[in-house]
This record gives sequence, structure tokens and C-alpha cells, in this order.
Amino acid sequence: MIEIYTPQGYRKDEKEMKRALFLALIAVVFWMLPGGAEAAPGKFDPESYSAPKIEDLYLVIIRDPDAQILALQRGQVHILGDLHRPVDVDALALDPKVNLSLASGFHGFFLGFNVRTFPWNRVELRQAAWQSLPRERIVRDLFAGYAEPLSTFLPPVSPYYQPDVTAYPFNPDAARKRLADAGWTWSEDNVLVSPEGERIPPQRLLSPTASVAPTTAELAARAADALTAIGIPVSSEPMDFATMISRLNERNFQMYVLAWQMTRDPDSLYAFYSSKMDIPGGYNIPGISDPELDVVLDRLRFAPDAMSALAAASEAQKKLAELAPVAPIYSRYSISAVSREWKGTLVTDRVTADNTWSLLAMEPAIGPMRPLYLVQGEEPRALNPFTSSSAYDWQVLGLIYDSLIAVHPYTLETIPWLAKSWSIETRHDDSGPHTILTFHLREGARWQDGKPLTADDAAFTYEYLRKNGVPRYFDNVDNIDRIETPNDLTLVVTMKNVSFWHLHRVGGIPILPRHIVEKVDDWRSWLPASVKHPENSSMTQLVGTGPFIFREYRAGEYVHLKGNKDFWLGRRR
Amino acid sequence: MNYWNRRIASAILVLALVLVLNFLLFRLMPGDPVASIIDPRFSPEAKEQLRRMYGLDQSLPVQFLMYVKSTLSFDFGISFLTGRPVMDELRSRVPNTVFLLGTSLLLSSFLGTWLGMKAALRRGSILEKCVLWIGALSFSFPSFFVQLVLLMFFASMLPVFPLRGTLSVPPPSGGAALLFDYLRHMALPVLSLVLLGFGGWAIYVRNLMVKILGEDFILLARARGLPKKNILRRHAFRTMLPPLLTIFLLALPGIVSGAVITETVFSLHGVGRFLLEAVTGHDYPAAGAAFFLLALLTVACNLLSDLLYGVTDPRVRLERGNR
Amino acid sequence: MRDIFLRWSFWCLLLLIGTAIFGNRLFDAPPEREVAAPFSKPLWLDRTLPPTKEIRLSPESPSLLLDWHYAPPSRLSIRVEPSAGETGRFVLWRKPETEVPLRLAPLRGGFEADGRDIAFKRSLGLPPFGDAAASLFSEQGGYELSVSGEGPWDGDVVLKLEGGRWGLLGTDQRGRDIASLFIAGVQVSLIVGIFATLLATFLGTSLGLAAGYLGGWTDSVIMRIVDLLLSIPLLPVLMALAALWGKGLWQLVLILSIFSWMGTARTIRALTLTLRDASYIEGLRGLGAPSKYILRRHLLPETLPVLLATMTLGVPGAILSEAGLSFLGLSDPRVISWGRMLHEAHSFGAFTAGAWWMLLPPGFGIALLCLVFLDLGKFLEEKVDPRLRKGVRQ
Repeated sequence: MIEIYTPQGYRKDEKEMKRALFLALIAVVFWMLPGGAEAAPGKFDPESYSAPKIEDLYLVIIRDPDAQILALQRGQVHILGDLHRPVDVDALALDPKVNLSLASGFHGFFLGFNVRTFPWNRVELRQAAWQSLPRERIVRDLFAGYAEPLSTFLPPVSPYYQPDVTAYPFNPDAARKRLADAGWTWSEDNVLVSPEGERIPPQRLLSPTASVAPTTAELAARAADALTAIGIPVSSEPMDFATMISRLNERNFQMYVLAWQMTRDPDSLYAFYSSKMDIPGGYNIPGISDPELDVVLDRLRFAPDAMSALAAASEAQKKLAELAPVAPIYSRYSISAVSREWKGTLVTDRVTADNTWSLLAMEPAIGPMRPLYLVQGEEPRALNPFTSSSAYDWQVLGLIYDSLIAVHPYTLETIPWLAKSWSIETRHDDSGPHTILTFHLREGARWQDGKPLTADDAAFTYEYLRKNGVPRYFDNVDNIDRIETPNDLTLVVTMKNVSFWHLHRVGGIPILPRHIVEKVDDWRSWLPASVKHPENSSMTQLVGTGPFIFREYRAGEYVHLKGNKDFWLGRRR
Repeated sequence: MNYWNRRIASAILVLALVLVLNFLLFRLMPGDPVASIIDPRFSPEAKEQLRRMYGLDQSLPVQFLMYVKSTLSFDFGISFLTGRPVMDELRSRVPNTVFLLGTSLLLSSFLGTWLGMKAALRRGSILEKCVLWIGALSFSFPSFFVQLVLLMFFASMLPVFPLRGTLSVPPPSGGAALLFDYLRHMALPVLSLVLLGFGGWAIYVRNLMVKILGEDFILLARARGLPKKNILRRHAFRTMLPPLLTIFLLALPGIVSGAVITETVFSLHGVGRFLLEAVTGHDYPAAGAAFFLLALLTVACNLLSDLLYGVTDPRVRLERGNR
Repeated sequence: MRDIFLRWSFWCLLLLIGTAIFGNRLFDAPPEREVAAPFSKPLWLDRTLPPTKEIRLSPESPSLLLDWHYAPPSRLSIRVEPSAGETGRFVLWRKPETEVPLRLAPLRGGFEADGRDIAFKRSLGLPPFGDAAASLFSEQGGYELSVSGEGPWDGDVVLKLEGGRWGLLGTDQRGRDIASLFIAGVQVSLIVGIFATLLATFLGTSLGLAAGYLGGWTDSVIMRIVDLLLSIPLLPVLMALAALWGKGLWQLVLILSIFSWMGTARTIRALTLTLRDASYIEGLRGLGAPSKYILRRHLLPETLPVLLATMTLGVPGAILSEAGLSFLGLSDPRVISWGRMLHEAHSFGAFTAGAWWMLLPPGFGIALLCLVFLDLGKFLEEKVDPRLRKGVRQ
């Protein structure tokens, strides 16, 4: 339970309230999900995990979905993390040797409007458009039901999800009525005319092409049809994705469809909807500019603690539902399949079956230990923790490197990882208030080549990222003022300002070994998986503190990792 | 100017034009890799950093010069998509593609030539009809269709061949076992390419052979009473050799396209697939490198085939002299 | 030339052209319309699948017995007419040999659910995978659909069951009739094949004639262009141009023709070079005939037989190139071609679904079309070059 560590800085009653909220949410979700997870959240104990039981882990690269399914059915691979096609899900649902599980995610697909010009500067038109989109039917027809119709700005699994907002369920008649009540009329050819007498010009809905994203292109076509039916003449315009993004950046568009991968922190709302982010390269693509919303989003971004973050997030969602700068459409489910020949998988409704906890605990259901085969849909690429941005790289790197904090697979709360505890304080001085994060590292944690992990490694990592302006971590380290290491196991990070999100931003950075990275000439072209370790010739420079040790990457075929028997989680005693 | 000098000069000109075309093609293609990043964790400043890292903030002429320099030194830069040097990517892929295409080209040309010759020698027989029909069939079926059907058959119904990749996971140790594993994986792709390729060869060789056998000098040789085998080997076949070799060399770059489809269907780690991903992913360095290498290969094969023609066909030598 | 009527390929081609022009009249819906459940099997394939039917409950007939002796339906949807209003009652479903019925749906006006909706599956206590229809119709026997509670109510309850069988060739992943798509594909293949080759032949002939006859600078420039274009690998450029230029049937035709005129140009040039020095041409030149006249009235007709043969043999190449591009996903998705059908079959999992009726027809269609043109081309070639005619023994 949570009592093993006590993160100071959270006021006790907040913690209780938050916990009650989460448990209530979990309870509701679990009541609705029969055959859900193997362990109820109350029983999940991160400290009950130990070093991985598996000795050999192979991430097999199979690109073709048909080949993936066949391999799983034949027992050549054991876990398939993300099934995309409904056909595959249906085929595996009938297979008695395979267990399927469903996880909601932070994916969100939206239809966006250019709020800066007519006609989308009229809020009632945006709301009516939202109301005319047949989300359930789209999910049914395009995803065979394996997606969640989305009507909110944060997905329901977000800890900050606010259900009590204005809703716009599919109802074209109500949409028409809303417009009629606001003074809109229809011309003879069923095109809307504004109360001032201005007819809506033909609108173009930008979308990726069908060869790149077939369901998206089809969705755009259907959305266009739905909107045309209530009087907004829309036609979909599929185009090359990079061109589309350029058009969006230049603000040369009327409508678009785009999917986002959000995170458990709602401060992405700031990036998407604050008028300050309506700049070149910024993500406020619709161009929404509402002073009240801006104030709330500022409060959210610089929230000093959990309570105000929660309050600001709720208010922001309520306001956004009123303003409707974009219309949410659906959120993807992640469906994973695990062979029944293995046990110990951790399955929740927030993480797919191939999460770290599963890989720590999995073992064959019967018989002696064997290698575990996991399917990866694409090659990992550079395997460079500085530059890699693809999920396939991080599937591997995430098993090798650790960060100071981790995420609870059920509640999405922050739980200790390399840092066994931490505290958050706000200190005031001449330049204003600062957040101070103090992390206490675990004793006895070691790098995979045997050297001990110290706070110095963490300090070095953050400094290195800051000094070199590494793009991927730019926003994580941008606000760090200074870093101190009073002793080998304590790290004190002083930020330039106050924000509740600093903990996640800083605590989530993977810690890299000083003794290896300081000798790297150019972090941009560093390929740690191809360079031998300076002292231990059976290892490469891809060395972390994590549960798996990198062995080999055979391009096009597989990545081979070995279980780290010396993993720090198994050494606390 | 000498014929050869002219040919080589024109080859170099073509390569230069290809370089420029390459550069323009991808720069003209809309969007750059940084622009396609849509990630709320990437602030505008972070994107600028990335752009600087790839040299995309330089002016177009400067980028062109950098491009020419890197291409001619076979450096090819760093792939936008993977962050690894393009040469590394190619190095791991070229052996597979070369094996796939080389083996299938050799096998299909030998098989096709043998069948074509047999058919030409037995005009009007059932064998000839069969060869022509099978040849036409093999040419007409789209490659991916045959491959998909083969996959369905051998992979799911009779699990003799593996479904994907070039090696098992983990690959067996020991030279012989490893080689056998590799061959087992490549058997189905190569088989499919041979089935699809021998037809065109057979028909072409048959037509060519028929034409040659109808020539006067063959008639003369037979009138002189030379044994049939002799005629075949020394006269007919020798005459056929130049056009055959030419076609062989010219076919080489053409079947790289076939590699794209085969590698996609069988999930092979090859250059064809790499090219497809690079082009659709706006990966300029990688796509540019692949294009350039292909053009280089084509120009080299054209030059080589001209050379061979000039060496083996006396008529061309004479013509050269006249110019 | 009259023995063309004896060739099977001639009649086949006529049939295909006829299908291309009139074929879509056989169907009432356009090919892109969704007509049935995705991956429906052809009617003649699986007789255990049920026919599509609609079951209605109304205040006059508030319960219905169903004697089910088929496999489960592939899709199921339930709808309550708006006039029902809020009743607080439920639509009940009783399986054979069970006492207690299941609450299928609330009897509430406007309620709509489909067997694919996860929320619906959860409300029935089913796992979220697969269609609810399979669990609701898990065995053969007598089922009962009824309404709970006593007393009258308004509106109708409609339960729609889809059998999963349709038409001659079933449906694809979007529920479109494959037979209809197949026929639409004939049009596209014929158009692309014929027009791309026509255009390429036109280009090749004019440039070949010009190069051969005029010689000098014109010849050099044209031949250098030929070399350049031959050095550029076709598929990669097609991929790049398809990505850059956008898709569209006529763009594709244009691009294919730009990259296939070179062979014809070389052949025509060679032919022109030999003919140019023929005595009668010399004579015409001596009489003062302009080049254009000579080219048009004399040289061109000489090249026609060869052209016809080359053209016919070039059509399969164009068709296969288009198919290859479509298969890689680089063609216009709104254009239904056989290559596109194979691409969609492959990427949407016809293989995993075992839907061979999606995979085989387009492939065989392409092959048939190519064979037809190859045979006709061979026929024409034999007409031009008598040595190739069969039966001429040595």
C-alpha cells in the first residue's frame, strides 16, 4: 500500500481525498469491466516485485499484422502489445490459447476549427457541429467498436478527468435547433446563413491521406457528410501529412482532424488552448483566445500543488466544453494479447499487457523457464536515449533505463522508483517563489556494469541535457535553476519557478551513467548499442539500472535482452 | 571523340543530373521532418533545436553543397527517421537484397533461357505451347498476388516455410546451421520471384532463338552438314549471348522494384522496403541515398551492357569505326 | 487479319470491355456503398449462416418466439422508436432452456445499440471482444424476445440481425460488394493500361521519328533524355511523385507514360534510320517534299505494324505497374482498381479473416487481362514477323 513511503509535501487531507477519488473511479471502472485485471488495485504492491524471473527476453520484429497473429497462434511469440485491426481482435477472441485485455489510453482524436475567422468564430456553430457528429456510429463502423467515443477534452482515464461538463450528444435536430435559436437560417440549397446574412462558404476539412491513415481519411469524409447534412458545406481534403502540418502551422486552413497522445498530466491543455501558444510552432492550432480560459490555464500550468491543479483542470475542462474550440471524436483502446502458456501478467485498464510489471513477474504457467518472445511492430532505430523519439525505441530503452519516479499502473499516481521518497517545497527569495524537489535515492542500486548508482549520476544527466539543449528533454530541464548533491543518495533540484508539474517533468527523465556518457564525443550520433563497453567486453555502452540488460540488436530480426538478476528492486532487504 | 569517351561522358552527365533531380525532388516535397512533429511535449524552441541539428536552417544552396559533398563521398548523412547513419542502415540491408535479387535473377534467367531454347528447337510441339503458356502466365500474375498465395499456402496450411524475416529468433549457432536457417527463410521469396520471372525470359529467348535459327548463316551451317549440337552451341548460342547479357544487365536495376514488394510481403530486412519507408516518410538523406545508388547501378549496367555489346558484337565494332 | 476472330483473347477482350461499360448496371448501388456486414461470405459459400432479417416488437405483438437453427448472426443491432418515451421497462431476451431472461435494452425512446458497442457488451456482462451476437445466439433452439412489465406502451422495438452473407463474392472490410468493386476494377485497369500505353506510344513514336529522321542536335538531345530517364529507377520516382503530386487516375496514367516511351522511341528511331536512306525516300526528298510530309505519309505507316504489336505488349506492363503501385498503397483510394482491392485486402486482414474471396478475384482478374493482351500482341507480332508464326518447320 501507499504507506511504505510518505512523500512529504502533500497535505494529508488532499492525499485522502485524492485516494478516495481514485479508488471510487477504479471501483466504477471495475464494476463495468468484467474479467478485468488479475489483481485489484488495493492489492497491487510495487514493493512486492523483484528482479525479473525471465532470463531471456526477445523482442521479435514482425511488421506484417497477419504474420504477428499467426506467430502468436502458433506459439512462436507470447505477447502482442497492441492489436490494431478489428479482424485480429475477433480472430484472437476465439482462440482458447490467448488472453485478450483492453486498456483505455490517452489517445484523443479531434476535429479542429479555425476559430480566428468566419464561420468558426461563432461558438454556437462549433457547438452545433460537435452535436452533429455521429461518434458512436463512427466508432462502430470504422473500429468495429474497439474505440471509445470521446466527448471531453481529457480522456476518462485521466486522473484529472472532469465528467460534469456540458455535453453534446449526437443529435442533428438539436443542433439545428441550437442554430435556429441563435438566429441562423438555411438557404434554399440547405446552406446555413448567419444572422447577419452571411452565407457559409464551402469549407475544407484537412486530413491525412488514406494510404497513410485509412481510417482517419474515412472518418474525415464521414464528418464532412454529417456537417453538410446540417447545412455546413464541408468536403474533406486528404493531403500529405507534412503538407497538412505546414498548412496548420501557417494557419492556412479552415478545419482539420488530428490525433494527440496526451499524458497523465493535464498541462497539455495549456499547450493546446492558451492564447499564448498561438505562435509559430505552438500547438494552439484552432487559435482559441478567451481571457478567462487563459487565466485558468495559467493557473493550471503553474499550479503549486495537487489541490489547485485539480481545481484548475476541472475549471479548464468546463470552460473548454463551453467554448468548443475542437470537437473530440474518439479515443483509441489498446488491446493486447498474451499466450496462456505464461502467467504473472499484470493487466489493467490503463496499461497494455507488455508493461514493466508484467515483464518482471512473468513466468511459464507450467514447465521450466524459457525465453519470452514479445512482438514489436517496427524496428527500434537508433537506441539513443538522447535522440530516440519512437515508441519502438523506448520499448527497449524503457527496460534498460530507470527514472526517479514511476507511475502506478492502476491509479496513475506517482510512485517511487529509483527515488524511494521525495519532498516538494516552495521557497521564496528575491527572485520570487521556487519549487525545490528533494529526492532520496535507493541504497544499493547499481548500474548493470556493477558500478554503484549515486545522486551524482542524476545530477550529471540533468546538467548534460540542459547544457547541450537536447531537444527531446528541452522542456523537462528548461526550468531547472540549479542541482545539488549533498550526499551520494540525495539530490536537490531548485526550479526557476513554481509548478506542481515539475516533479513529473524532472522525475521522469531517464538517468544515464556518468562514467559512460561523459566520454561520448557527440550525443547526436552516439549509437550505444554498437559500441563495446570500455571495461566489460560482453556489454555495450547501452547500460542502465533497469530490469533488463541489452545483449544484441540484429537489425530487422530481434532485440535480445537478458534479465538483470541484480536489479535493485530485488535487492532491498 | 572516341565512342567510349562519349558514352562515359554522357553517363557522368546523367549522374550529375540525377544528383540535382534528387535534391530538388525531396526539397520540393512539402514539409520537412521537423514540421511533422506533433507532440505537446515539443515546444517551439525544442523544434528549432531539432531543425538546427539537421541543418535544415541553412539556405538552399548551402544545403545543396552539403548534399553533393556527402553523396560523392558516400557519406549520405544521418537518416531523419532513425537517427542512424544512412550507410549503416544500408549496410545491414544490402546483403539481403543482393542475395534475394541476385539468386532469383540468376535462377530465373537460367531456367528461362533453358526452357526458351528447348521451345525454339521444338517448334509447334506441345512443349513449345506449354512453355509459351506458362511463360505468359508467369508474366501476367502480379508479383504480390503470387507471393500472398504462396504465403497462405505454405505458411498457414503446410507450415514448411517460415512466415517472415531472414533468420529464426534466436538464430542457431554454428556456420552450417545458420546458413541453412537463412536459406530456409529466403526460399519462399526467391521461389516466388523465380516463378514470376522465368516466364518473360523463356518467351524472349524463344523468340530470339527462332529469329536466329531462321537466319541465313544458320542455314548455311546446316547445308554444310555441321552437327546440330555444334550449330546450336557455336553459332546460335554465341549470337544470342550479346542480347541476353544486355537484357540481364538491364534487368538488374529494374527488379529492385520487385524487391520493394517482396520485402514488404515477406517482412525482409532489405533496401527495397527501406526505400519505400524513406520516400513516404520524407527521409531526405535516406531516400536520396537510395535513389542515387539505384541510378548509379542503372548507369553502370547500361555502360557495361554497351561495353559488352561492343566487345561481343562485331557489327557494332565496325559501326564504331565508321563514325 | 481476319483470323483475329479465331483468337479467344479477342472475344475475351470484347467481353471485358463490355463489362467495363455496362457492368455496373447489374447492381443498384454504386460500388462504394456499404451493403452488408464487413467480410460477409458469398451466398454460395456457407449455408449455415442465417439470412438477414428484422424482428419487430410492437404494442400489438409484444413478444415473439424465434426458432433458430443457424449459426449465430454476424451482426446485431437493436433500436427503440422515439415514440416509446421513458417507460422504465426493458426489452427481454430469453435463451433456449433458460428460465430467466436477459435484459437486452431499456425500453426508452431513441435507444440504439449495436453488437459491436463495448458499452452494450458490458451491460450484458459480456467481455468486450467479439460481436455480442455470437453470445446472444450461442446455441440453436427457441429464443424469445419480449417486453417486461405489464400494460400498454408506444412505439416499436426493432432487432436487426445480419447474416453475414452477400452477393456473388461477399463483401470487403467496409461492407462493400466485392463483385461490384471487381467490375469497377475492370474499367480502371483497362483505362490505365490502354491510355498509358497509347500516350507512351505517341510520345515514343513522335520523338523516335524526330530523332531518327532529323538527326544531329535533335537526335543527341532526345537520346540523352532517353538515357537519363532510363537511369532513373521507375518505382521510386513513381512513389515520390505519387506522394508529392497527389493521386488521381489521370496523374497516374501521365506518370506511367512518361516513363515508358523510351523503348518505343529507340525502336522507332532505329527503324527510321534504316528507312531514311531507302531509295524512294531519297527520291521524294529530291522532288522537294517537305520532311513533315515524308514523315507523315511514308515513314509513319511503315512503323505502324511494329507499333501496334509493341503497344499491345506494353499494356500488361502498365497494368502491372499500376497494380504494384496500388498494392503498396500509393494510389488514389477513391479509385477502385484491382491492385487497390488487393492492397486493402492485405492491410485490413483478409488473410487473418480467411476471406479468400477478397484475395483471389482481383489477382486472377489482373492476370486474365494481361494474358488477353499478351495473346493479342503475340498474334500481331506474328503478323508482322512471319518467322515467329508457329508451324513453320525448318
